[in-house]
Formats: sequence, C-alpha cells, structure tokens
Amino acid sequence: MTGKQVSYQVFFEDVGVGDLIPALTVTVDETQMFFFSAATCNGHRIHYDREWARTVEGYDDVLVQGPLQAALLARAIGDWIGGRGRLVSFSVQNRAIAYPGELLTFGGEVSGKRLTGEGAGLVDLDIAGRRDATVLMPGTATVQLPRRGTPS
Amino acid sequence: MTEDTLIDAESASRVGTIAASATGEVNRRDWQRWAAAVGDHNPLWFDPDYARANGLRDIICPPLFLQYAVLGVTHLEVLRPDGSSGAVSGSLAFPRAPKRMAGGESFSFHLPAYHRDQIEMVRTIESIVEKRGRSGSFVLVTWYTVYRNQDGDLVAEASTSMIARP
Repeated sequence: MTGKQVSYQVFFEDVGVGDLIPALTVTVDETQMFFFSAATCNGHRIHYDREWARTVEGYDDVLVQGPLQAALLARAIGDWIGGRGRLVSFSVQNRAIAYPGELLTFGGEVSGKRLTGEGAGLVDLDIAGRRDATVLMPGTATVQLPRRGTPS
Repeated sequence: MTEDTLIDAESASRVGTIAASATGEVNRRDWQRWAAAVGDHNPLWFDPDYARANGLRDIICPPLFLQYAVLGVTHLEVLRPDGSSGAVSGSLAFPRAPKRMAGGESFSFHLPAYHRDQIEMVRTIESIVEKRGRSGSFVLVTWYTVYRNQDGDLVAEASTSMIARP
C-alpha cells in the first residue's frame, strides 16, 4: 500500500469523445503471476509450469493470465475515474497471449457519453491491453462519472 | 453429435442447464490480496475514510474480484492433469479438446459489494459452439452468471467464455 493519494476527480463534463485515459504500463513477471494465481485459486499449470506450457500446450513460455490482463485494464480505468467514478460495465476478449517479461500497456479512449433518465453521466470507453502495436485484449467499458455541482 | 465434432454429446446436452452455483462471503483481505497482486492501490479497496468521503459506506470489493468471492475449495486429487479445477466451468470436459483458455468476460455491475456480504452465484451454460480459427477448430463455451447479495439484490451479471482446443 502506498501512502494516501492526492484525490483528483474527473467529472462527466470534463471528458469528450476521443479523449484518452492515462495508459498503465506494466511488465508482468513470474512473481506477480504467482501471486495472482494464488489470489484467484488458479492452479492451471500453464501459468507456472514452463515444461508443461512448452511440451504439452505448445507455447514458448508460461502465459500471463487473461484475468490478470483484465484486472490491469480495470485498474487503469479505476485510476482514471477516481473515488466518485463507478465501473458500470466491463467487457474484454482474450485475443493474443502474453509472456512474462513483456512490456504491456493498458488504456482506453472515450467513445461516447450520455445521460441516463435519472441524470447520471455515463461514459463509454474502447479499452485495450497491448504489447507494442499488438492488441492482446480489446474491449469496451462504461463508467459513471460524477457531474459538476452534484453531491454524488 | 458425430465423431468429427470436438463437442461430445454429454457436453452438448448441458446447454441451458445450471453449470454451477455457489455461495461465498466477500472478504476484504481476499480482495486486498487480489488487488495487491494486480498492483492496484485504489484506496476504494483499502481506505474506509476515503471510501466514505466518496459516498460509500465502507471500502468496497473491486468489481472484478466478485467472481472469486464465491470460489469453493478444490482438493488436489480432483484437479485436472493441467492443474485447473473445472469448478467454475461446471466440469465440462471436452475430451477431444482438452487445452483450455479463457475466451473473454463481460460484466455489468449494479451494486457495490462490501466486506462480509453473502454472494450467491448461479451460472448457466448459455452456448457451446465449434468454431474454426487460424490455428484450427476450437470450442467456444459461453456461460451466463448472476450474482446476488444477502438481500436478494442483483449485484452483477456476467457473460464469460472459454476456448477449448484439441
């Protein structure tokens, strides 16, 4: 746990279609993969048994967990929407594999914004996890952002 | 189902049925371990004062962790050879397509989940289809999952998929 973060809150009125959310760059290593498998009770050998990954499943190395990539994407979104933002929907596809040690980037772009009947501000995002130009995990998300001048 | 399909008749017959149901308690230490493994220091998961200052009654479970709060206990003896448990998939086996990986996941989140919430999950097998990709045929399995809390309120819905290859 890091120290208290300085609260910065993005508001519905602040964002426009085409805006990029700050990208998160992570190089997943085997220690992180071990802890993620432990935290999700995932015993799949493809994530820790290199011999199994190579000889049985035909990969060059162990694979970064798809759900870890999804969680990193959600982390990037959560960091952007701040304490008053809410994740409304989140959808991703596993399109390409990633190996530990690779530099991965998680980010998104605002694709739309709208108000619900109750006046909540929803923002749609195209999101993706990438390795260089290769899209590993494309997806979409919708977040609710607070509106200026409202308590929540 | 004929022999040249990857989908055995037993698996095909289970489309539309409940693959798994489970009840679990949301636990802040578990979700904080998960967040730590993700490197996610979002104070909504860790800092009650911060959460309260942002309109919540306490720290909340990271939305993507909810799916793990209902995981049961799998004994080593019943793991598949690849180490996976099969519990979340309803033990669909696909003997002709034993290599499995996550396909994708699509969640809608309706309510926050708090420490000690009791979550009931019901997962149905939505579809099992054989597809052909660049690297050959594979099976795409899609599940639809509903998560409700102890008050019977809908917390989240999910559509998740798995790819099984020969």
